[in-house]
Amino acid sequence: MNASAISVPHDHDHHGHGDDHGHHGHVTLQYQPGLPLSKGKLIMWLFLSTEIMFFAALLGSYVVLRFGAAVWPKPHHVHLSEPIGAFNTFVLICSSVTIVLALEAARANKASLAKTWMVLTLVLGTLFLGVKAYEYQAKFSHGIYPWSPRSRVFEKPDLYYGSAVRARLGEPAMIDRLKELDDTPEDKLTADEISGRRRLQQIRQMVTSPDQQPFDLAVVADQVMPLPAEGADAHGGHGPHGLNDTFPWLKLPAVIPGGTMWASTYFLLTGFHAIHVIVGLIVFAILLLYKLGPKRAGMIENAGLYWHFVDLVWIFLFPLLYLF
Amino acid sequence: MSDHSHDHHAPHGPVTRVGETADETLEHAEHAHEGDHGHGGVGKYLLVFAALCGLTTMSFLTYSSFWPWRDEPQVGWAFMMAVSCTKAMLVVLFFMHVLWEANWKYVLTIPAAMMAVFLAIMLIPDIGLRNRMVAQERALHMARQSDVRLLEQAGESKLLSDQAH
Repeated sequence: MNASAISVPHDHDHHGHGDDHGHHGHVTLQYQPGLPLSKGKLIMWLFLSTEIMFFAALLGSYVVLRFGAAVWPKPHHVHLSEPIGAFNTFVLICSSVTIVLALEAARANKASLAKTWMVLTLVLGTLFLGVKAYEYQAKFSHGIYPWSPRSRVFEKPDLYYGSAVRARLGEPAMIDRLKELDDTPEDKLTADEISGRRRLQQIRQMVTSPDQQPFDLAVVADQVMPLPAEGADAHGGHGPHGLNDTFPWLKLPAVIPGGTMWASTYFLLTGFHAIHVIVGLIVFAILLLYKLGPKRAGMIENAGLYWHFVDLVWIFLFPLLYLF
Repeated sequence: MSDHSHDHHAPHGPVTRVGETADETLEHAEHAHEGDHGHGGVGKYLLVFAALCGLTTMSFLTYSSFWPWRDEPQVGWAFMMAVSCTKAMLVVLFFMHVLWEANWKYVLTIPAAMMAVFLAIMLIPDIGLRNRMVAQERALHMARQSDVRLLEQAGESKLLSDQAH
């Protein structure tokens, strides 16, 4: 009965009881505009249905890229931490509850309570973004960027990788820094740094050696940033330390098989999701300017619908990116 | 109001009464929402919240030692997707109030969901299978499983680290 014409019983008692039973007596047709919901909500749902397709395209391409790829990095190869992802899931779920409680409070004409829930939602959303920023920072510090000149990730330890390592070690500033490291007396270095310095010297010989073997470059890659073995817990940094970790200024190119495509999809998916979170936070901030009574319940409901959708996307993103 | 209209799952939307504009009817509907209908309820939301938290923890079941299909990751993936779909349904039905909405919900959600599925399927031939037949140029540069093994061997060889520790 959602068409533009709604049948109503031809009753003499217009406002009487039982006038929404449409199945007896004569019926007259009366014009009713559009779907039986408020304009704002209709538009929000239409927008959300386009958003469903938008994220379905992104998630769909991620899935087909991931399962069509010859190699895809394990979550710990790319320094993803499942507990952090789970925590962010929890934060978003909490914020979904708080916004729904804000709506309930506004409908019950408890404006200040509604405002409290709304502020809490805003705080939780900001917390989500903060954790996300921390995670991004962890990727950036390992040289994982979504675009190529900045990214220090190589797909495999081939000659291109070797020449990139050579080029980095040959930078003028780097030469000075390495000389400084070589000249530092051993008692001013930690045990980790002493062993790191020794391995670094060997690597510098390996990449410039004229009789370099293909396996040598794999050893170089393993020393720069090792791939944690299956089952090894490398999330908290308990795994093997690479030279890039020992000397943060080194910033040598690293090898993560499948890492470049992983970075593209990860940053695209989480980036678009983060943009949606930011938009949601702006909407909440605007809503906070109003008195959140029953008159604003419609606005809160629409903002809430949007926010639940953002939560919904994360519900799928979390296992796909962190747990698969 | 008849007792019929008290039914929570009344399949029809607000009906325009004769002599009322649609907006007035909507206001009636809104009043019905906040009034005796009270479909939400804080208790129900908290229950859904607890279920969502429990389901999130369940996704980690595949990592535990109790999980019997550790050698077949596909089983774990299917399980995690089932968990995600359950969570999504809970959010849509309760938090987005779709459970209590009128039939218009199908008009908007089903076509969008179908388009979403078609979209993903249409990506498979071009993007999903793009590594089946590749140009030599790309085959030269793309990572293969053998590269992962090579790196693992390099890690195991301890060529340099024996002097280190």
